[in-house]
Amino acid sequence: MAVRLTRRQLLIGAGISAVALKSPGLFADLADGTAASPISRTIPSTSESVPAIGMGTWITFNVGSDADLIESRTEVLKTFLDRGGSVVDCSPMYGTSADNLGKALNALQAHDQVFAATKIWTADESATRAQAESSRNRWGVARFDLLQVHNLLGWRGHLETLKEMKARGEFRYLGITTSHGRRHDELARIMATEPLDFVQLTYNVLDREAESKLLGLARERGIAVMVNRPFQGSALFRRVQSETLPPWSAEAGISSWAEFFLKFVISHPAVTCAIPATSQVAHMQQNMAAMYGELPSESLRQRMATFVRSL
Amino acid sequence: MTDVDWLSYSLQDFLMFGPQVFPRLFIRLNQDIWPWQLLIVPLALVVPWWMCRPAPALRRLAVWLVAAAWIGSGAGFLVRYFGEINWPAVWFGWAFVAQGLLMAGLGTFCRLKAIPKGRAGAFSGLWLTSVVVLPWVPVLQSGELAALAVFGLTPDVTLAASSLVLAMMPRVLLWSLLPIPLFWVLFSAATYWALQMVWLLLLPAATLIVFALCFWLSPSSARSRDRQSVHRDPVRR
Ligand SMILES: NC(=O)c1ccc[n+]([C@@H]2O[C@H](COP(=O)([O-])OP(=O)(O)OC[C@H]3O[C@@H](n4cnc5c(N)ncnc54)[C@H](OP(=O)(O)O)[C@@H]3O)[C@@H](O)[C@H]2O)c1
Repeated sequence: MAVRLTRRQLLIGAGISAVALKSPGLFADLADGTAASPISRTIPSTSESVPAIGMGTWITFNVGSDADLIESRTEVLKTFLDRGGSVVDCSPMYGTSADNLGKALNALQAHDQVFAATKIWTADESATRAQAESSRNRWGVARFDLLQVHNLLGWRGHLETLKEMKARGEFRYLGITTSHGRRHDELARIMATEPLDFVQLTYNVLDREAESKLLGLARERGIAVMVNRPFQGSALFRRVQSETLPPWSAEAGISSWAEFFLKFVISHPAVTCAIPATSQVAHMQQNMAAMYGELPSESLRQRMATFVRSL
Repeated sequence: MTDVDWLSYSLQDFLMFGPQVFPRLFIRLNQDIWPWQLLIVPLALVVPWWMCRPAPALRRLAVWLVAAAWIGSGAGFLVRYFGEINWPAVWFGWAFVAQGLLMAGLGTFCRLKAIPKGRAGAFSGLWLTSVVVLPWVPVLQSGELAALAVFGLTPDVTLAASSLVLAMMPRVLLWSLLPIPLFWVLFSAATYWALQMVWLLLLPAATLIVFALCFWLSPSSARSRDRQSVHRDPVRR
């Protein structure tokens, strides 16, 4: 299938390699001295490449109209983009997050650099199009890359409308989300029958229910997997707060707990990207570092999971 | 229809905003409203004096002031600031406005007895503690002086102080004034707990303590089931 790239897709693709030139500090860390490129994954339905670490916006971008905090979140987004990120996830459920994301994108003039993903979150199955349009205005993007039905809410009606909208080119990829391991059986049925490009679910070093069915099914059906709550909403950091990194984690070039948790997630072969959220530039730097260097092998992944479970 | 497995949710899952944002609401409100605090705080300090005077007109004025404080903190802090980042705050905001209007109505049409002489000191002490000491709790939590929670502008301090006035209401009317404060106490305590802002829990706790103490302070009409206290104010007739 011939895939025509838009200017924006080209920019995202070019960004993935150009970041290698833009961020020398990142590459100086590599033992063999060679410049690495960011880890990216392909979306099975089109083979388009996206960076393996994206950004979530739940809580972190819901700062109301607080100008100081909007400015600080703009810095977070800038750090994310500077380090090769592009996938940004939001939802109408996240209060003022979409408005503030729009303001940050505007301040950075970065609409073309993001893979824009939002959700439809309303029980009113006839409001799909109106909500998508409202979100588009809030973000200030020409169109979304990915529209997802949030938490399976009203999924039958929304999916029908979204399929029509996608066919007309109003957005590019169709998805559905869940989290916290909820309603996996129903999600599996939808994945098996609907023409989804993406599925979003919770997966992290402790919450691994998705491994038993959904991740395999996603590979089988050619569905990209976006992972939410990679830090279990920061609970993983609390769990390890008095622990030092085990020395063997250096095998995968891991130098922080953030990298430990994120590399565990993105090293699963079915995972397309993880979307950690943060309100802090320093945390964003740590998170984006997970997109470079080695990834853990399968045996190391098992060791990582066993280690965290034992704490 | 979508089934929601509510048992799989924790309190934290309902929190839409982070701990950095909440104290900033107090700071922004104080910046935006400055220098009106210089008028509002002294007005708040006069309330116990008015409540303890024999003249019913002064007590009515005190109730109106407290009613205005409910309206101000509801429409201002809750709807305009907190409501932006947390939808339930908007509903609470309008509920505060409704409560303020109800109190203004009751203050206008009902006779409030003066605080018994021997208890005026305790009443004034509790009131001053509420409007002078409690505002520092968000400062203590955030380390920012500008996060002072002013009576009449922010809900917890307004509620803690005005529960003194609520408890003075004739008991038969008191029940109509209780649901909104009680729901707010529950909601704010759950929010502060979920945010892990433990100092802020002093605010709902203080409200409950002040309210309990007020039953002891209130004139006998408030404690008895004497329905005769629900009279029109004879002075207004
Ligand atoms: N049903 C759904 O569709 C659904 C459900 C849940 C989530 N999501 C999406 O997935 C995204 C991610 O999930 P999440 O936000 O719930 O949880 P998460 O990404 O697992 O955790 C976010 C928390 O981790 C902390 N954090 C981030 N980086 C850190 C670092 N390097 N060091 C220490 N702490 C760090 C953040 O605090 P700081 O701000 O202090 O860094 C924040 O409290 C959401 O933002 C949302 O976009 C979707």
